[in-house]
Amino acid sequence: MIEAIGFLWPAFLVAVCLVGIHTYFGIQVLARNVIFVDLALAQIAALGATVAFMLGHGAQSLATYGYSLSFTLLAAVLLAFTRAWAVRVPQEALIGVIYVVAAAASIVLIDRAPQGAEHLKQILTGNILTSGLSDIAVIVPLYLAVGLVHFLLRHRLAKSPSLFWEFVFYATFGMVVTSSVALAGVLLVFSFLIIPAAIGVMFASTLPSQLAIGWVAGILTSAAGFAASFAFDLPTGAAIVCAFGAALALAGLIYPFVRGNRVAAIRTSFDTARWVIAAGIAGSAIMLLVAPRADLPLLDLLEQAVPSLRQLYFTKAEAAAYQDAVETAERHRLAAEQLIEQERRSRTQGEALDETTVQRISSFLKSYAEMRKGEQFVMGEVRARARERIRWVASLALLAIALLIAPLPWRRLSRVGMNTAALALRTDRESEVRSPRTPQEG
Amino acid sequence: MRKFVVARCLAIGLIFGPTPGWAQDRIRVVTTTTDLRSLTEAVGGDLVEAVSLVPANFDAEEYQPKPQDVLRLKETRLVVRVGLDYDLWFDRLLEAAGQRDLRSGGEGYVDASFAIAPLEVRGVAVGPGDGHAHGSGNPHYWLDPRNAEFITANILEGLSRIDPLHAKAYESNRNAFLVRLSTKLGEWEAKLTQLRTMPIVAYHNSWPYFARRFRLDFIDFLEIKPGVPSTPSHLAGIIEKMQARNVRLVVREPHEPERDVTFVAAKTGASVVVLATSVGALPGTSDYLALFDTDVAALVNAAGSR
Repeated sequence: MIEAIGFLWPAFLVAVCLVGIHTYFGIQVLARNVIFVDLALAQIAALGATVAFMLGHGAQSLATYGYSLSFTLLAAVLLAFTRAWAVRVPQEALIGVIYVVAAAASIVLIDRAPQGAEHLKQILTGNILTSGLSDIAVIVPLYLAVGLVHFLLRHRLAKSPSLFWEFVFYATFGMVVTSSVALAGVLLVFSFLIIPAAIGVMFASTLPSQLAIGWVAGILTSAAGFAASFAFDLPTGAAIVCAFGAALALAGLIYPFVRGNRVAAIRTSFDTARWVIAAGIAGSAIMLLVAPRADLPLLDLLEQAVPSLRQLYFTKAEAAAYQDAVETAERHRLAAEQLIEQERRSRTQGEALDETTVQRISSFLKSYAEMRKGEQFVMGEVRARARERIRWVASLALLAIALLIAPLPWRRLSRVGMNTAALALRTDRESEVRSPRTPQEG
Repeated sequence: MRKFVVARCLAIGLIFGPTPGWAQDRIRVVTTTTDLRSLTEAVGGDLVEAVSLVPANFDAEEYQPKPQDVLRLKETRLVVRVGLDYDLWFDRLLEAAGQRDLRSGGEGYVDASFAIAPLEVRGVAVGPGDGHAHGSGNPHYWLDPRNAEFITANILEGLSRIDPLHAKAYESNRNAFLVRLSTKLGEWEAKLTQLRTMPIVAYHNSWPYFARRFRLDFIDFLEIKPGVPSTPSHLAGIIEKMQARNVRLVVREPHEPERDVTFVAAKTGASVVVLATSVGALPGTSDYLALFDTDVAALVNAAGSR
């Protein structure tokens, strides 16, 4: 455990560096409305690396980096022009085209490579978990240099600069993205770029405060992602991206409380939550009624969390059959694991197993797998039959619960009902009053 | 180049296609991997012309067939596949090629995994098999040189079925190959004896058959499941284990990520060995026997330098 933390902290430092530069570029990218430009640039850099590889350069060599960089600079020229071209077609569409064409071109090229170039995928799917201090030594000077250039030229690089300064913006951004994607992968870099910047832009209007909020949010979220990856044993990059998604959702929830009418915000979020829960329950109820044998995710989840729920609708015999199947399946699984382990140990320890024994172990394993599948079928069948039996009662009960939870305006509905009744009464009386007069008029 | 070959084949097909004489010249065999191609050549000798679909350094489990693969199957009389859910994409390709004889159960169809005892069977196969008793074990069975006996037997049976006239020749080819194989196997076993007590860590679990044959101890793998990158605690566990058991070797295949393996090796002071799992994946692995020659030499080299 201590060891895991021991090698997580360099990766966390890398994440902090990435948040630092990408939050700044993210704010710029959001202002320019070119959200997917980093994907396009990263893909172009990968295309450059592919070309270098085809020409016989090693994957990590200087030549390869040179090719990546020159392709990125070419792309920066293209991107600088896209704003001029984007009269009828939105700029984002052109960026998307650059992305897909670069991706497709590298697939076509890789396919032609004499010895295959599968590991070029690595350029697109870096792994932040195994990045370290040697990477920091490379990216910190680069990011500092880019940051300094942007600080000195901040007036020229502002929102709508001339074509040349636009090129400078994309070129420096391309350099940053090329290195960061190789470190952390496309998904993570996109999150670093957009989400802290979006949170910053949400809560502040000047660049320094946007940056400060974005940095704090980004670093805290990265830390949470690393912690979750460690605590729940998840792949690190993917865990951090999910943490960033959650952070944005949280910011969205907080926003109305900070910026708007607090009472209204609370009421709206409470109502929304009730609607969501009610809709979930009602959907499950309808599914149970219409297709009791289908997957019912909500009920299945509930049952998994609280297995005793099954006792509510299983008969004694069903419960026994289900339990028996669960135990048998587990027994088969354990038996199979034992056999696998026994065979594995025999590879190096004791006397080697002869071919017949290995054949026999192999067919035992196949049978165990078949039998386990059979038990799983039994479990599914028992549950499906029990659900079929109770579907009317259970789904009506669930629908009632859903109606109770849903924030329907009961009071207003009843008032409307009373009003209609009163109105009907009044018209009746009026017509009664009026009717005796009619003959006099005639 | 490839285009030119195909064009030439087409041209020959147009001129001689309908005449029965051409088909008898050399029997065209399509295999999914380069290993099966090499073994088919060993059995077929000059009588067959074998082509493999997956390039040597590609992950055969993730191959995407190309239009020309359909074209290659058109002229083909025998297909040889790995099976055990390793080359699932092949079924759809065969479907697309539309030749009844080449599909599962047809005259020109060979599943090389037939009669192989799969190791580490944990579930039921997802691919179309014979329905029963076809588990999804570890598919890298060709890495046990002994299993080449079964594989070549399957190929021999297929070739004799479609070309009974030359059955004798195929059989003597196979016998000659098995003689060479058993001499080589003795050499490899002798060379690898020194690694028997050495624990090894690998990136991907391609090695159970290899390990069983040569009595090597692969104690853990960096990947948790195929295609799923490592988690912090898994990696920490591996590093701990490597330090506790003093692991000196980390094995990587040429197409696997360098970064993760180097990271672990650097943390523990172990050295990285690149091993090929397929013919042609590394220089010097031009056929099935050379594949083991190269891998054995690399392992002995890495162990010796310690």
